[in-house]
Amino acid sequence: MSAIVDFPVKPETKPYLEAFGRNRHNREPDWLAGYRNGNLARFAELGFPSRRSEAWRYLDLRALEQRPMLPTGRGTAVIPTDADARLAEIGLAEPGYRLVLLDGRFAPGLSAIERLPSGVWLGSMAVALAERSDLVRAWLETQSSDMPRPFSSLNAAFFADGFVLDIAPGVTLERPVEILHLASGGRGGSLHTRSLVRLGAGSRASVIESYAGVGAYWRNDVVELQLAADAELARVVLVEEGPEALHLDEVRATLGQAAWLSSFVLLLDGRTVRHEATVRGEGEGSRCNLNGAFLVSGRQEANILTTVDHAAPGGETREMFKGVAAGRAHGAFQGRITVRPGAQKVDAHQLSRNLVLGPRAAIDTKPELEIYADDVKCSHGAAVGDLDEAALFYLRARGIPGEEARRMLVEAFVEEAVDLVESPPLREHLRARVARRLAMSEDWR
Amino acid sequence: MLEIKNLHARISDGREILRGIDLSVNTGEVHAIMGPNGSGKSTLAAVLAGREGYEVSQGTVTYLGRDLLSMPADERAREGLFLAFQYPVEIPGVNNMYFLRTAINAQRRHRGEPELDAGQFLKIVRAKLKDLDIGEDLLQRAVNVGFSGGEKKRNEIFQMAMLEPRLAILDETDSGLDIDALKMVARGVNQQRAPDRAIVMITHYQRLLDYVEPDRVHVLQGGRIVQSGDKGLALELERRGYGITEDAA
Repeated sequence: MSAIVDFPVKPETKPYLEAFGRNRHNREPDWLAGYRNGNLARFAELGFPSRRSEAWRYLDLRALEQRPMLPTGRGTAVIPTDADARLAEIGLAEPGYRLVLLDGRFAPGLSAIERLPSGVWLGSMAVALAERSDLVRAWLETQSSDMPRPFSSLNAAFFADGFVLDIAPGVTLERPVEILHLASGGRGGSLHTRSLVRLGAGSRASVIESYAGVGAYWRNDVVELQLAADAELARVVLVEEGPEALHLDEVRATLGQAAWLSSFVLLLDGRTVRHEATVRGEGEGSRCNLNGAFLVSGRQEANILTTVDHAAPGGETREMFKGVAAGRAHGAFQGRITVRPGAQKVDAHQLSRNLVLGPRAAIDTKPELEIYADDVKCSHGAAVGDLDEAALFYLRARGIPGEEARRMLVEAFVEEAVDLVESPPLREHLRARVARRLAMSEDWR
Repeated sequence: MLEIKNLHARISDGREILRGIDLSVNTGEVHAIMGPNGSGKSTLAAVLAGREGYEVSQGTVTYLGRDLLSMPADERAREGLFLAFQYPVEIPGVNNMYFLRTAINAQRRHRGEPELDAGQFLKIVRAKLKDLDIGEDLLQRAVNVGFSGGEKKRNEIFQMAMLEPRLAILDETDSGLDIDALKMVARGVNQQRAPDRAIVMITHYQRLLDYVEPDRVHVLQGGRIVQSGDKGLALELERRGYGITEDAA
């Protein structure tokens, strides 16, 4: 059965429209159904992003255009028998609060979100839609749709679940919140989760979101971060998708007065991985640290895009992104910093450093500063190079085999970024994941 | 232990720097190779250690009965050849302790010995640091990063003490050191003197030889060894400078 539509439709979106018609959820409130319909129409009208658009120029989505990966149904996910082992593998050794999204759906049996301090609400998006519908509705309906974001619109039309973390003003959540996105491989298709983190004035929290899975699937994730005045959020994203997976995620953050977002993204695995972060400094004196690294080998692709928009005076941005590409892999970093008229005394610095190992690997790096205020301090730097031959010889001259020496130097290069993660347990976790990733491929030679 | 015969080597721009070196070093001996700037001292060290960018056009180097020049740099090191660098390299992000343990375990694997775990390794490290009077903070820092000139040289000597080489080549380890650091380096070298080990000190100045007494002294000039003798030769050079031997050559 195909849906009846009265809006222009790009051909590659048709299978998704048809799937939407099949999956229509009758029990949803009207406002949500309307929201989904609106976003579906937007997706159909926009179609897949073209490589001619700057934000998508480094990613090849032709395979997806030719072979649709339709959203999986809304049934309950089946917990794979090895779920515990996999959680132990990718999860923190000592988790604080853990929320598992299995194939895009909350898995209560694998999660531990009890005993939250008062003033903290953590739960699945599906539960939030029922219990906190005012919050969720207000958030969804105020999301701006000025920018053409086809996959975000597709996500809005299809998301079945996600998570919501809502922290009351002044509350500090001591232990980290761990969100584990697992794809079990049993379903294929695409997974769409939509999540919200809202920090009240002066509150503090840290969140680590890890993505992993097996099989061929397309993950299309959207997260929104809202930080009120003086709130502090430390967020880590760890992407270790399966070797056949396509991973796209978009995070949008708004920072209130003197709010501080500290973000670290580590892209380690997945056939094609794209992470896009958009931060809007709305309040005076808001700060953001956006750091991260990607490691690609074989024929992998990774793409990090950041946009920081300083709309108020006195803001600060620190960005450091590192990339490593080996084999026939390709990586790209695109970082934009905008300073709006009147946003004086903004202090923004961006650094992109990259290692390209071997003649068939490549990394593109594209910093962009757009400055419309006259009293600002902004700078950027970008470098692409090979391993330091002198360092390599020094290690070899101590008996360390060439291959191991190269791996050590790549690890050190990535760790320089990982060291920016402030929390010791999170930092150690990421270091271990990097070491494991390096041991898995021989392309670093 | 080391037998160099008619060794010629050039650098990438084609200039021949070593022009027929002959040198024989026996187990248990300490040799000093002295010479002015540009005589080929550091090139000799680099060629022996296996650094890339040098082309050996003639000659042979036999080390412990094997053809040294056919071995990759890391294998030479695992076979017990150690080069103390004139300019130790800074390696950001690589912890000194982790680096040393990796090096030692690579050597132990090569010899068919079991690897050391972190605890066993630390025990040996502590003992060696104490012998050399070096502070433990050295271990926690990235390899040579932010080290003073003296600290870098101390770190080289410390690595030598840990790796216990069969043949140690010290490339101007004494240059740029104050007297305390020089004495420390000398102590490290003297501690390493052993009947089953040979040490080759490459130096511009005689002063290290005030603290480490060599069995043989050689003068390198124009890419050749132009004179060899006992420790008296070093004193003579100190008095007369390198000019005399140049005339003699």
